[in-house]
Amino acid sequence: MKCKKCGEKASVNMRQHRMALCREHFLEWIPDQTERFIKKYNMFTRNEKVLVAVSGGKDSLSLWDILVRLGYNADGLYLGLGIDGGIGYSDESHRLTDEFANKNNLKLHVVDIEKEYGHSIPVLSEISHRGHGKPCAVCGLTKRHEMNRIARDLGYDVLATGHNLDDEAAVLFGNTLHWEPDYLLRQGPVLPEMEGLARKVKPLCRFYEREMTAYAIARGIEYIYEECPFAEGSTQIFYKESLNQLENVRPGTKLTFYLRFLEARQSGELFVKKEPAQAHLHPCERCGQPTSAPGFCSFCRMLEKAALQPTELQ
Amino acid sequence: MPVKLILRNKEYEVKAGMALLDALKKCNIVPESVIATREGELITEDEILKDGEVIKLVAVISGG
Repeated sequence: MKCKKCGEKASVNMRQHRMALCREHFLEWIPDQTERFIKKYNMFTRNEKVLVAVSGGKDSLSLWDILVRLGYNADGLYLGLGIDGGIGYSDESHRLTDEFANKNNLKLHVVDIEKEYGHSIPVLSEISHRGHGKPCAVCGLTKRHEMNRIARDLGYDVLATGHNLDDEAAVLFGNTLHWEPDYLLRQGPVLPEMEGLARKVKPLCRFYEREMTAYAIARGIEYIYEECPFAEGSTQIFYKESLNQLENVRPGTKLTFYLRFLEARQSGELFVKKEPAQAHLHPCERCGQPTSAPGFCSFCRMLEKAALQPTELQ
Repeated sequence: MPVKLILRNKEYEVKAGMALLDALKKCNIVPESVIATREGELITEDEILKDGEVIKLVAVISGG
């Protein structure tokens, strides 16, 4: 397979774009596209202060790397969650985030949840009896709360997270399966600033998770490869695997699913109840039942085509 | 010599001379869910696997 730009041997194939790129051009393409998405969705400008939520994973570290390369004013925020799971998960993700920040001479804010609130995430979950035995709900809630608080306290204009398209498609899939209109109408690349809430943006929301993994590897970013010990068997991972099965057979399925949703949401077509009167119905010239087209209704047109008279059916 | 594919703590063996895509299918691995590397370099799914080599597969899915 050849690179679309230079004809050299390709390193990454993106079937949804019918495009393969060599390492060098892929490492150029990802930041170029990120810049395009930042502008397209009016996420932020180079004059604004960006706080990047970094977890030590491939997506958030890559996002930080890309924003800094693009010349944005981006600092990092690491939240110490106190998750061990027998593999020192939080310690290792903190170490990798620190290492990345030091290597690239970047400013990193570290907030330890246990120091701040007296308990780690797993303990908070246990004593608050939330989440049916798993700390994921408490973890998500705490992260959203703390990221917003810190972004505002420290005077950042915007909070950026490393959500990729697979993250967004999995959330969309879940919200569609359960028909959650409130969640669906809120999902998007930008959550605007509101009273008490910092602006939140997702500059990687149009990249597949596979592309972000390839970017981290190609760029030589050391990230935490181990999964959070509590994520095993999670619904989100199940949705991602299911969507990948579809993607495998029909390349571009995930991208279309997400982009068509954004278009429908933007156009206001989602969950808008249409009044029957708006449809301009006329009585069918043959049977008298309402129809949108002048002349015969669809049923009568079908009968006409079949050369049948309504009475012949009785 | 067979080709070894390594994904997390699992190892798979396939015949040399196969394309990576066919090898993944043979091992029931969804190609969309992994990135393949040979000696640290990214490779595409049409790559022909060579005698005795080791291909490291990096799982791409994360989250919770």
